[in-house]
Amino acid sequence: MITESVEEYLEAIYRLRERGEAATTTSVAKELRVAPASVTEMLKKLANQGYLKYAPYRGVTLIPKGEKIGKKILRKHRIMEKFLSTLGLPKSRIHKDACELEHHIPDDLERAIHQKVEGEKPLPSGAPSNVVPLTSLLDRQKGVISFIGGGRGASQRLADLGLTPHTEITVVKSALFHGPLMISVRGTTLAIGRGVAARVFVRVK
Amino acid sequence: MPTAEKEPITIALAGNANVGKSVIFNYFTGLHQHIGNWPGKTVEKAEGTLHFKGRTIDVLDLPGIYSLSAFSIEERISREYIAIEKPDVVINIVDASALERNLFFTLQLLELETPMIVALNQVDVAEGKGITIHVPELQKFLDIPVISTIATRGTGLDKLLNKAVKVAKSKKLARPARYGREIEEKIRRVTKLVEKIPIKYPPRWVAIKLLEGDEEIRKIVGRIDPKLVSSAERHARDLERIHGEPCSIIITAERYNVANKIARKSQRITPPRGPSLTERLDAVTTHPIMGYPILIGVMLLVLFTVFTVGGYLSGFFEDVMEPIQGAFGGGAGELIGGGLLGGLIAGVAIVLPFILPFYLILTFLEDSGYLPRAAFMTDSLMHHMGIHGKAFIPFILGYGCNVPACLGCRVMETERERTIAAFVVTLVPCAAVTVVVLGLVGAFVGIHWALALYLLNLVIIFILGRVAFKVLPGESMGLIMEMPPYRKPHARSVLKETWMRVKDFVYIAFPLIIIGSVVLTGLKVGGLLEPIGNALSPITVGWLGLPAITGVMLIFGILRKELTLVMLATLMGTANFATVLTPTQMIVFAIVVMYYIPCIATIAALVKELRWKKAAYITVFEIAFALLLGGIAFRLLTLA
Ligand SMILES: Nc1nc2c(ncn2[C@@H]2O[C@H](COP(=O)(O)OP(=O)(O)OP(=O)(O)O)[C@@H](O)[C@H]2O)c(=O)[nH]1
Repeated sequence: MITESVEEYLEAIYRLRERGEAATTTSVAKELRVAPASVTEMLKKLANQGYLKYAPYRGVTLIPKGEKIGKKILRKHRIMEKFLSTLGLPKSRIHKDACELEHHIPDDLERAIHQKVEGEKPLPSGAPSNVVPLTSLLDRQKGVISFIGGGRGASQRLADLGLTPHTEITVVKSALFHGPLMISVRGTTLAIGRGVAARVFVRVK
Repeated sequence: MPTAEKEPITIALAGNANVGKSVIFNYFTGLHQHIGNWPGKTVEKAEGTLHFKGRTIDVLDLPGIYSLSAFSIEERISREYIAIEKPDVVINIVDASALERNLFFTLQLLELETPMIVALNQVDVAEGKGITIHVPELQKFLDIPVISTIATRGTGLDKLLNKAVKVAKSKKLARPARYGREIEEKIRRVTKLVEKIPIKYPPRWVAIKLLEGDEEIRKIVGRIDPKLVSSAERHARDLERIHGEPCSIIITAERYNVANKIARKSQRITPPRGPSLTERLDAVTTHPIMGYPILIGVMLLVLFTVFTVGGYLSGFFEDVMEPIQGAFGGGAGELIGGGLLGGLIAGVAIVLPFILPFYLILTFLEDSGYLPRAAFMTDSLMHHMGIHGKAFIPFILGYGCNVPACLGCRVMETERERTIAAFVVTLVPCAAVTVVVLGLVGAFVGIHWALALYLLNLVIIFILGRVAFKVLPGESMGLIMEMPPYRKPHARSVLKETWMRVKDFVYIAFPLIIIGSVVLTGLKVGGLLEPIGNALSPITVGWLGLPAITGVMLIFGILRKELTLVMLATLMGTANFATVLTPTQMIVFAIVVMYYIPCIATIAALVKELRWKKAAYITVFEIAFALLLGGIAFRLLTLA
């Protein structure tokens, strides 16, 4: 049985990686809002259990077993956030509740909720959710915006430039060294930083 | 028969960034607003007047924005201006090659219900992309006049002005477009409530802003009727429940839906065969690997061109002007000959030769559209300093002059990013510093030493930027920037722009150089140079190993940095600096000048952007840092 706190850790590390940040004791501690000392302890434990590789001072890298869990929990978190927001709950509640629920939603229920909020045809059972952050698209790949996470300022700015839900978007190219993405949307070309792009979620075409 | 003076009219130019507002503004007013091919040049509204058919017309160039949501300073400036000061007519300048995105902004302007017309600009660029727009159709949808223009060629601009005046006289208000049924229903209900309270904005607009949760409007309305705010909030919640998005996003998406519909119905697109110029150039200039050598190559090329052309011109001017100065000598003649003429000659021979090629290349680069690409390539590097790629543009501009570069830091979204960017920019050696580095170190010690100083400068900027990032609190936003198409720089506009910049430079710098020169000669004749030099000698001589006289130069340098070198030339009566300074002293001197203080004008710009406290911190820090670095360099160089 995987404990909730293991899931929390793997989710946080996965989230950091998605944003292109290194997962170090400090950054994980910041992400989870806990003391760095307890993080070191836990990371060692996770390494022993074969979820990740841990090198003191250099940080951690997920290995497949940990990555799978981190990815799944994060996906559940996002689906729950989206679902809760359709209920018209206040923003502050949404995040907290999603953090709670992500550990208790069975996979099939997650899929059902996903279909509900995305308004899609039922997915064959066991198929992975195809909503991914923009950063995981390849060059010249297209997607349709599902939602934009993160603060109000950034998401409004993106919306003002034409990145609204259900809009088609193409990744033109992405720069090396965790550099920005060049995207094309509504007949214009934009450059957006990787951190920003990681908050734009698209359904892959 | 004498006619009565006609009513003056105010015209405001509004639109997205980089659509051609400033080109049109310049055409109308004969003034000179900065033009270039990257988004975000105009950061403050500019004003000019023209006389048209016996009428005075005030023209306002507003900053380029994508929305009126008041998240940025520019958006707030523009919306306050249009809604409160109510210009007689708004000319909305629309980029025909990106119609949908531009119409999204047009729809927001329509919501403000002022007299308005559309200038459909850059139709030539649109045609290049295979886009043709049916103007009558567009006019029908928007219900306001639409004039197609090509601003850079002046096509359609007279017609535009004529029409704008006509609309201003008619005082006919634009009517906001209608949105989807659900949203309209909510807007209608809230509008009804707003109509009951006294407020100077159009009620429908206030209703929309309340639904969007706009902070400012909520505050204003809340002071009059707090209940209204909460009932608007309830309506917003209803919409959010249906759509599962924040209400502001729902409304934004709805505007885009309408914009998309209008664009689709009024334009025809025949995709051109083969890749465009922009696509072909982008394939290499933003290539994940090749892009970097190209970027470095461009920067080196700029430096070398400035150095060789500057060196050549400098020698040429000196040969021409030297004999003139020789004609004066002794007493009052010295003041005129040494001071006045000496300053003038030094200015022409030392400063102009480097400024001229530099501005030419910078303007060329700006006009080509390369800068946004450079910003794209350097984004991840900039992240190490807590800023993002867009800061690279003011950074490059800083090599021309730190003042516009500091003001240009407004393209950064958050306070923290602006502070770091402005700090970093003041460390960039501006054209005046380049005069000192190339004219002294480059010419007398060797170009590789000058190059080394520039490289060292980049490293130092990176380190200090990173330190600032670590110590400053606040948040960073990340890059969100439009990529304009590449353009073949227009020879005439580049030359004109360069000429204006050089002219500005000469107007500001030369009086200072000449006055400085006269004052300096006066000090020399009055025998005051030595006491001043001696007073500073513990620092200059003791710590930096420079001749005592350089203390006086460094004081003059606070006015403008090239003065340090120009004054030295005036005083020595020669531009052959090898006779007064050793190579080590030249390098140390150049290092101190590079970092020691932002010049007066830059300090003023810093105060304006960051206020007194931060400006003072930066200034004091940089003086201390320059002295520290100069002293270390002196010791290392004499060791070797
Ligand atoms: N081909 C073409 N280029 C144009 C036209 N109008 C403007 N440009 C170019 O577009 C670029 C931007 O023009 P500006 O007038 O500086 O744009 P702006 O709207 O003031 O931009 P911001 O100050 O950044 O908001 C410049 O490189 C102009 O030369 C046009 O009609 N045709």
